[in-house]
Amino acid sequence: MNILLIILQTINLLVMPLLLLGVVRKVKALMQNRVGAPILQPFYDIAKLLRKSETISYNTSWIFIYAPRISLTTAVIAAVLIPWSGQLLPPAWAPATNFIFLLYLLSLGKFFVMLSALDAGSAFGGLGASREAVISILVEPSMVISLGALALAAGDMNMSAIYTHPINPIIAGLAAVALLIASLAELSRMPVDDPTTHLELTMVHEAMILENSGRNLAITEYASAIRMCIFWGLSAQTLLLMLPAYNAMPIMIKYLIGIGLMMIIGITVAFLEGILVRLKWRRVPNYLAFAGLFSLLAAMVAAVRM
Amino acid sequence: MSIPDLSGGFAWLCGAALFSWLIATVIGFIQRRNPGPSLQFFLALGGLLLLISAISGGNWSVSLPLPFYLGDAGFNFVADPLARWFLGIIGLICIPTALFTPGYMHHLREHLSVGLVWSMIALLMISMTGVIIAGNALVFLVCWEVMALSSFALVAADHEHRAIRKAAFIYLGATRTGTAFLMGGFLWAHALTGTWTFADWHIFGTEAIGPALLIFIGLAVKAGCWPFHLWLPIAHPAAPAPVSAVMSGVMIKTAIYAMIRLFIVDEHIVAAFLGPLILILGSISAVWGILFALLQRDLKRLLAYSSVENIGIILMGIGIALLGRQWNVELIAQIGVAAALFHALNHAVFKSLLFMGTGAIDAGIHIRDIDKLGGLIRNMPWTVGAFIVGSVAICALPPLNGFAGEWLLYKGFFSLALLGPTVGIRLSALLLMGILALVGALVIACFVKAVGISMLGMPRSSAAENAKEATREMVIAQIFLAFLCVALGVTAPLFMSPLSVIVTRANQLPLLQNNWSIPVVAISIVIIAGIGLLTAWMIKLARKNPSRHFITWECGFGKLGPRTQYTGSSFSQPIARIFGAIYNYAVDITIKGKQRRHFPEKVSAEMNYEAYLETRIYLPLIHTIKRLSGNFLMRLQAGSIHQYFIHMALVLALLIWVGSR
Repeated sequence: MNILLIILQTINLLVMPLLLLGVVRKVKALMQNRVGAPILQPFYDIAKLLRKSETISYNTSWIFIYAPRISLTTAVIAAVLIPWSGQLLPPAWAPATNFIFLLYLLSLGKFFVMLSALDAGSAFGGLGASREAVISILVEPSMVISLGALALAAGDMNMSAIYTHPINPIIAGLAAVALLIASLAELSRMPVDDPTTHLELTMVHEAMILENSGRNLAITEYASAIRMCIFWGLSAQTLLLMLPAYNAMPIMIKYLIGIGLMMIIGITVAFLEGILVRLKWRRVPNYLAFAGLFSLLAAMVAAVRM
Repeated sequence: MSIPDLSGGFAWLCGAALFSWLIATVIGFIQRRNPGPSLQFFLALGGLLLLISAISGGNWSVSLPLPFYLGDAGFNFVADPLARWFLGIIGLICIPTALFTPGYMHHLREHLSVGLVWSMIALLMISMTGVIIAGNALVFLVCWEVMALSSFALVAADHEHRAIRKAAFIYLGATRTGTAFLMGGFLWAHALTGTWTFADWHIFGTEAIGPALLIFIGLAVKAGCWPFHLWLPIAHPAAPAPVSAVMSGVMIKTAIYAMIRLFIVDEHIVAAFLGPLILILGSISAVWGILFALLQRDLKRLLAYSSVENIGIILMGIGIALLGRQWNVELIAQIGVAAALFHALNHAVFKSLLFMGTGAIDAGIHIRDIDKLGGLIRNMPWTVGAFIVGSVAICALPPLNGFAGEWLLYKGFFSLALLGPTVGIRLSALLLMGILALVGALVIACFVKAVGISMLGMPRSSAAENAKEATREMVIAQIFLAFLCVALGVTAPLFMSPLSVIVTRANQLPLLQNNWSIPVVAISIVIIAGIGLLTAWMIKLARKNPSRHFITWECGFGKLGPRTQYTGSSFSQPIARIFGAIYNYAVDITIKGKQRRHFPEKVSAEMNYEAYLETRIYLPLIHTIKRLSGNFLMRLQAGSIHQYFIHMALVLALLIWVGSR
């Protein structure tokens, strides 16, 4: 059972991020009355990028070369540790799943990606990095507060404990909404950033990685796909905390439900992206204020109901 | 509390360190113009001796024999675990400072007496050590004053510049004010207890409010806590870089030391209001400091504002600890003090590293303006590499040391939320976690700007283009500190036990050993292995399809210049807009030309912000004081002998009246 789970988890870790990306793109295309690229297109893209040679600007330094590698490594470590697919880690690993540690580990990758955006001396990179910094300023507090509320309800800062502990469904619901709203900004998705416009100037994440090409770009894209899985998976798990029955299920079924719900979140986001418009850049704080509001409500409930 | 009198070995080691610095002070006075390498040797030796005496353990207390006497109290020195922690910080930072200083002072040798700077640095070290080991209030005050004056002399070192003279005077004014409060508080405490010895102070209840408030304000001025931080971003950039490193890294920590000593560890003065007050002021300092750091164009000023932020973080730890003591939850108290102490050490390491990095750039090309630098990573790989390590550490990113301290603080807030007695406290603890996260994200933005704009990209000036790597000694000093950032981060679990001992009350057990749970070593190995594997794979792929070097993408418009890059001001503009209410932020854009919309001849943008505290509170206050002294006090001393006779007669009458009562 355990070995089966490890194999499943490894496949999941490798396949799921790009599959989710493919599904999101497909649903979005269908929403726009297009046939859209095949669901497996992200896999083809990555494979092609890995085969191509890469173009590096004269102005860059080692930061530009190493940033995607740091970003991917930290994302993979976080993906192994964060319970985004409902997996249960060996108990000895529990201390490593401290939520502050994992959020800061992801920030380490982001820090270097922002630096690499400035490394080539392109104004696009500067613009993207600056906006990315703003988004994380707005997002981090609500993420920490909502996860903190969950941790308070569970009495433990380790995610492996939080996500196996029966938690008041109100706290879980509010925290899940806060996490979802925040994750859309964090992942450069629709109301904040549109990854599909024709001009990089209007984007955040794509503007940052404009200079990356070839295998460097492949790693970067893969890292951001993993981050997508991490945050939506985490929201899915938080939503599932609302169902007390979920915790009692056998682990395989929990696993499949977790993956399934993450897919549903992805499809819902893609559906919403089909009918929403991107917010004006200056309105982004107003949108993220909702994440802050929900996390505050979760914190209040967690503080009252001891 | 009782300290075993082991005035043997380690006290002598500490004494030898002080003596070594004393020699350096004297030599510096003698060799004013051309100081020899002996100065560097004695300064480093002192640091090393102090570090050994701090690490190798052993509490001691020493009283100097009779001729050394301060009116009402003797020269008593005490070293307990808390004092040794700070002695360790002083010794640790002193060594790289001694290495770094000669290379840096080289470019200033024309217009200032380098030897005097050396001797003042040595005196600063002596006085800081004195503050830490002072056993009574009088010795503390004397050392505190020597520390203030020697650092004033250092800030004023390059006094040919008007701006530096002004900064030095502001610093002098602030430190005078602080000492006045501190002295008032000490006198009050003396009046209540009848003794100057710290160990005999036990002030509780309503009695404690007065002295606690005065002493706290006096210490807060020195620490640079909001709203008393005014002097810090002015004085620190004015001093030579190694001095800024010592001031920001170590000197302001002496105030933190005194707070922990008087209010928490030995509970000499216990006032209930201090915990919430320090927590609130600490969180305001953290947010305020980093928000202003983001807007700065001068690298050193940015770092100075970031010191305000870090002091705020340390104060948050102290605040948590005080609340824990108040409710007798020993775990919270221990975590809070441990977070404050560990962050004090970490901040000393990475802030001196960052100041030295800025100093290395400044010494080479005389530019500190972020928007005039750029591309330094090619010509100064070591300095910039160390600066990046320092930035990762100050952003509290794992696995470096900054993370360890901040994680303890998160842990403290979480324990507060878990064990807090009321809903309000539990909720505020969660919110404070959010504030800490906000500060963390702002710090990342600030240092992405500091590194990315000023050291990466294309050089924005010819000086930056032709920058040269600093001298070998300067580079070694920086690499040493960068190494410490990594080492302290990875070995953080080992510090929990000693930190726990510092905080533990006599009748309590240390609780912290099992509280550090993050497997930093394992994770660091995995990170390095992961990056290594990816690198190997990329190299393998590159063998088949080699990388090609080409210009940065310019949309087909022709070659990009340095001027088309993002600037520091544009980087921080969106953040400044969001927090605009705090800065009163405004951008004026003027476009000139006939058909100005489509064919502008000249476009200029000007960014303005206002530090409310400075312009709305301190400036009117200083103006009022100036006016009062000009209009009123000056009349008292008009140079007329008749008037002086009247004064004397009035004072005599007053004395007779007071005496006859």
